[in-house]
Amino acid sequence: MNNNNRYKRIFPLKAVVVFVVMLILLSAISFILFGLYPVRREVKNISGYIESKPLNNDLNLSPELRSLIDAIRTKEHYAAFLNTTLKHSKGDSIALFIDLRDSLAILSFKGVSLFESKISGIKINSGLKKLPHFFRDSLYSGPMEVSEEISSIEKFPIVVKKAPKDTIEANQASAPVLPVQYDVFLAFSFDNNMVIQIDQQEEDLIGTKQDYRKYRRQYSRWFRNKNLDALKSSSERGYIYHLAIELPREDARSIYRALPLKPAVVIRY
Amino acid sequence: MENRGSAGKVIIVAGMFIVSVWLVIFLFLNSATLKEIAFSFYSYRDPLGALAEKDSVQLVKQINSVNKKIATLQKRIENLMPYGPYMVVNTTKNTFVLRTRKEIIVEGICSTGSYVLLDGGKGKQWMFKTPKGQFRILSKIVDPVWIKPDWAFVEESLPVPPRNHPDRYEYGTLGDYALSLGDGYLIHGTLYQRFLGLPVTHGCIRLGDEDLKAVYKNLDIGSRVYIY
Repeated sequence: MNNNNRYKRIFPLKAVVVFVVMLILLSAISFILFGLYPVRREVKNISGYIESKPLNNDLNLSPELRSLIDAIRTKEHYAAFLNTTLKHSKGDSIALFIDLRDSLAILSFKGVSLFESKISGIKINSGLKKLPHFFRDSLYSGPMEVSEEISSIEKFPIVVKKAPKDTIEANQASAPVLPVQYDVFLAFSFDNNMVIQIDQQEEDLIGTKQDYRKYRRQYSRWFRNKNLDALKSSSERGYIYHLAIELPREDARSIYRALPLKPAVVIRY
Repeated sequence: MENRGSAGKVIIVAGMFIVSVWLVIFLFLNSATLKEIAFSFYSYRDPLGALAEKDSVQLVKQINSVNKKIATLQKRIENLMPYGPYMVVNTTKNTFVLRTRKEIIVEGICSTGSYVLLDGGKGKQWMFKTPKGQFRILSKIVDPVWIKPDWAFVEESLPVPPRNHPDRYEYGTLGDYALSLGDGYLIHGTLYQRFLGLPVTHGCIRLGDEDLKAVYKNLDIGSRVYIY
């Protein structure tokens, strides 16, 4: 009885209710500020663009016509993808082609497919999924140049070695120095507010958890800064279009090391 | 007693404040999830544009026309590939594929640049990496002789001999054949077969004996080698 009274004195019911209401209010405000507001701004921008196009409302279309239209769009998108491959073949750098339809990540150089890796997992966020076809195909298919990248591995695994002082030291150092292999997690960001994440499909880490956490921290920091910038300035877009693919670890490593700095990426949805 | 009570209240209010701040920070850090939830309240209209004004016959015609366009583009892309055999080298996995447009002739392991930066002192440095890009076979050599460059002596802590000195010539090290890619880079054999599949070379591409023979046989002068 005494204990009960003590708790009631310390935590009066009124104060508890006020605190819970305050937490709910704070959650609601946070949801509006960090979730709803940036999404609404993004939707408004895109809707404004859509309204400027001839809409031709599709309510009266028969399913047969609708499926024909869908087939045309898919094929035209594929033609655009091939056209980009062709255009890119005139360049002098390796590009990454992500074919989500055939689940392939392809390294292409001068039109020649150098390497193909089967994508084992694809995650697309709601914003990208809901984008109207023409918008997605024109603005989020590429070729897009990577503006920033975060990676759990080095681009060039350089090992510095001092020349031996004498022949004895030279003989001792004759075994090759092999680079340490780390887990592969990559994130490419683009100027159009899109992020492509490439993760190794293997769940077991070959490196330390510390390295993985370091990568996650870097990625979270980048994401946090992007969100803060969007809160501070109304000209910054607060919504990030996100595509994540999973590849075998060694394939992801090969792709990252083969790509030049600021590579071009093309996506087929 | 009263003092103890007011101190307790201060602690509780401070605790409530900390929990509230923590909640806001937590929600901010998880704003991606909040945005995903927020997006479920929105959808876009999908403008069909001129497509909606066409009937099924016109749409089928358009599909056929796009199909033709796709076929043409595919043909043009196929034509970008070399006509004869070519080789593709993956320097990360240390693997290679010798192939034509239609089929793989041989594939296997190789050894490529170690990415070792050898510091020879006095400002002299050598980077042992295999160059990336598109190359052509410039020459083909049987029983190649290795003309040892300066770094080979620095690496062994031996005095660097003058050019064309007999010490620079080493026989049998490069295997039975060598194919030159230019700038001193070769595709050649190796005495260190156990290191195949590992990045241990000074920039050249080392192959096993049988693979080297197949590469030598199939690639001509001018054949393309893609290294990535």
